Amino acid sequence: MRKLAIAAAMAATLVSTQAFAEYPEKTINYIIPFNAGGESDVSARFQQPYLEELAGQSFVIQYMAGAGGAQAWSQLNGMEGDGYTIMGINLPHTILQPMEKDVGYETKDLTYINFFHYTPNALFVPKDSEFQSLGELVEYAKANPGLVTLSGSGSNSANHLGQVQFDELAGITTTYVPFSGTGPAVTAILGSQTTGGFNYVTSGVNNGDGMRMLAVASEQRVKAFPDVPTFKELGYNIVGGAFRGVAVPSSTPEPIREKISQLITDVNNNPEFQKKMEDAGFVLTDISYDFINDFVAAKSEEYREIAEKLGIANR
Amino acid sequence: MELLGYLVNALTPLNILMALGGVILGTVIGALPGLSATMAVAVLVPFTFTMDPATGLIALGAIYTGAIYGGAFAAILVNTPGTPSAIATTFDGFPMAKRGDGSLAVTLATLASVVGGLVGGVFLLLLSPPLAKVALAFGPPEYFWLAIFGLTLISALSVGNTIKGLLGGCIGLMLAMVGVAVVGGDIRFTMGTHMLLGGFDIVSALIGLYCIPVLIDLVATPDPHLKVEQGNRGIRLREAFGIAWESKFNVLRSSIIGTVIGVLPGAGGSIAGLVSYSEARRSSKKPETFGNGAPDGIIATESANNATVGGGFIPTLVLGIPGTPPDAVILGALLVQGIKIGPTLFSQQGDIVYTFIFGLLIATALMLPAGLLIGRYAYKSIASIPKTLLVPTIAFLTVVGSFAIHSNLHDVQMMLALGVIGWLLNRCGFAPSPIVLGLVLGQIAEQGFVQSYLIGNATHNLAGMFFGRPISLAIVALAAFTLLYPLVFSKRKENAKKRALDAARSYADSQGSTTVGDVEPVAKSGFAPLAGLKKQLAKPRDHAGMFLSVLLIGVAVWAFAETSAMTPMGSVFPSTISVAIIVMSLMLLGLNILRKPAGPEQGGDADNSSNARRVALVIAMVVWVAVIPMVGFGIAAILAFLILGRVACYEHMSAKRILGEAVGGLVIVGGLYLLMAEVLLIRMPTGALF
Repeated sequence: MRKLAIAAAMAATLVSTQAFAEYPEKTINYIIPFNAGGESDVSARFQQPYLEELAGQSFVIQYMAGAGGAQAWSQLNGMEGDGYTIMGINLPHTILQPMEKDVGYETKDLTYINFFHYTPNALFVPKDSEFQSLGELVEYAKANPGLVTLSGSGSNSANHLGQVQFDELAGITTTYVPFSGTGPAVTAILGSQTTGGFNYVTSGVNNGDGMRMLAVASEQRVKAFPDVPTFKELGYNIVGGAFRGVAVPSSTPEPIREKISQLITDVNNNPEFQKKMEDAGFVLTDISYDFINDFVAAKSEEYREIAEKLGIANR
Repeated sequence: MELLGYLVNALTPLNILMALGGVILGTVIGALPGLSATMAVAVLVPFTFTMDPATGLIALGAIYTGAIYGGAFAAILVNTPGTPSAIATTFDGFPMAKRGDGSLAVTLATLASVVGGLVGGVFLLLLSPPLAKVALAFGPPEYFWLAIFGLTLISALSVGNTIKGLLGGCIGLMLAMVGVAVVGGDIRFTMGTHMLLGGFDIVSALIGLYCIPVLIDLVATPDPHLKVEQGNRGIRLREAFGIAWESKFNVLRSSIIGTVIGVLPGAGGSIAGLVSYSEARRSSKKPETFGNGAPDGIIATESANNATVGGGFIPTLVLGIPGTPPDAVILGALLVQGIKIGPTLFSQQGDIVYTFIFGLLIATALMLPAGLLIGRYAYKSIASIPKTLLVPTIAFLTVVGSFAIHSNLHDVQMMLALGVIGWLLNRCGFAPSPIVLGLVLGQIAEQGFVQSYLIGNATHNLAGMFFGRPISLAIVALAAFTLLYPLVFSKRKENAKKRALDAARSYADSQGSTTVGDVEPVAKSGFAPLAGLKKQLAKPRDHAGMFLSVLLIGVAVWAFAETSAMTPMGSVFPSTISVAIIVMSLMLLGLNILRKPAGPEQGGDADNSSNARRVALVIAMVVWVAVIPMVGFGIAAILAFLILGRVACYEHMSAKRILGEAVGGLVIVGGLYLLMAEVLLIRMPTGALF
């Protein structure tokens, strides 16, 4: 039955793809719902030349920052669904924001196309910190509840979720100190203002030798930091961070959605692109259009559990 | 000597061309309020990928420094900071322009910006690694105290009107709290709307609070916008050099303050400008002239904000932490190019870094001729353009600028609303600057406070956190000094006041209203308690002030009630501010009840200004903003242009002139539309038409 359905779907795709065979025929606007210079922007910039080469059209990156991305996402479905407007999209943002409050969109209203990478959370301490390993930090935190301060970007963010999970799984109490962005949060670690901090692996690449990465919240070790163990290796089942991908207005036709997803997957398969992204600390994923709704649903459940612990699952 | 080799590298024709082109483009973008350095830099990033890394960086750095400088033009000529860095430039720049010293002000700003930029660049060249340590030594308590220090400037800005100034500051702080809180994640004061989730954008608030009042008063009288100078005195370069040379210590001090504050990620040009302004005023022999067109005010702000460019690159290049938002974009560009940031950058990729730094210095130096030329042209066109064209152009710029920030009409609506409210508040004696100061510093103060509290509480060292750190203590001492200075030196102030009175009289004769400098000259500093109180009581009863106090008490009570549903982290600041607002409003109310009722002559504006035209302008702009989503951006702008031209028209115009101005309007609207949609790649709203 299932096979038949897939076959039918494939046949349908084949037929309808014909009608949109020419896509893309003009410039594609790639909207980033954050300010320039952040991880979303940088990864889109990495994609840009490869996308342009594959599609034979230019991709124009535009910025629509505001309310942690909500301003752009709440307007996405009002935009033209002809495939020439695509928008960067992030998890856990688009799950947690509507879970917490009415932000003008719902998680299920958005049309996710492809998540092409994620930046795992990692636990950092300053270079001259007394803690050489995660074990030492956990021991110290056990002996001194609350004394360990961990910086991160914002409240109820991916970083914050990482800290909450860590506290629970390690049976410790640490103090989370929210900062107004990745930059200030990293500065607090570098300057030893806090004991350490949860931040994205990409920050470790940028800030050279100023910080020591104790553990990373990915399934496997990150290529840019082969010597840093994962939380899983150390016995804590923490895998998390921010996923980034692309979404389109809900009126975009199916064949175009698949074409865009394919374009992004093809870029992800380019070895040169892979190397650039991995050197910068990004971890490539391949969550294409066929799987993406299941993925978002699974993540929603996972995040709801943590959100309930944080007391922010209001809706 | 190795360094000189890099200088030679930087001197290729292409690099110089990039530096010059970047500075010119940056200056123009910076001069247009709402269009920011970040935007220009972000748009140019992809082009730099095709260039040699050092050349690309030079182009980006040149745009950045040009934009910070360009912000001064709008500040001086239309009382609206082109970028937040130029907030303090409006304090004295616009009064100077009003009295006919516009070109002198522009030239002074240029000289100060060039010197400030060079000082910042030299620090970047020679002292980057040690200065980067400053960025790390600045923790949450230091940011908190720095913000408080910035807020002390309110007392200086509102001499004689201290309660209203402080209330204004609290209003600004409260506005800064609106939206999703960074610390705590609470949703505050959005009244259930999506529009306010992102909070009040500082740039759109700046445009609204500073520029809309100028527009409203511009249409009310047939008088020209700026007083035209007697005779053509050119750019007054020699005179400006003389003034700047006399203020060399001010230039140097401000440049160093600017560099150091630029090094701090999260502070930036606006705070650097405000702090240097405050320091320049405190150490000046004539502090009373500040706010009434003191050249030293412009010099301090402009040298400081351009010094932040070099300073901001220090943490960016040494630590990989962007010092300012444009730095973040440049950092991203470096990352995409595969250049590894960090302490090793200077030793391993010295050719790129040092070539870039020399390129930045060259670009800064090129700002002198380029800026003087653009400044001369900008001043001339603003001073000579007829009102029928000037009013719609400025109005168009406010709409375009506030839209451009996030490609969002909400920002335009907020800009307009804040502008009208700001005008009304100004009429009641609440100047816009304290509000803006509160808005700019509110987030920094709150985050610094809550973070310090969290860390101090966790480590059981709260007192040590706030009062036990050397840098913090130094900032606290400076803040206290700034606050108490007028009290300690009240004698000197007394004499100064007399001079101020004369200065203000001549200033009043030269037509000055609705500006920051509009402080009441006869008033007494609020710090000599008894005498001050007597003077305060001697004033006639201020009915508008009383009405506003009641209104503010209402709002503050509502805000206080709202905080009960927030997390402790998210509520501590807003609840404190609401209490402060209630207390100060009650004081203002009490003061006014004790005063004698106003005499009949206190009817307000018995002048020849036309309130009908003011209302017409506001209505036209509200309708304009409302119809954009329906008819489209371009067509709405052209229609509004024609209507606002009529609102501002006082003379009979020949058909030829009407036609000419209509064409001029089309060119201005079309040109800016293209600049935004095609050059800066901003998403423009589309309606039925275009």
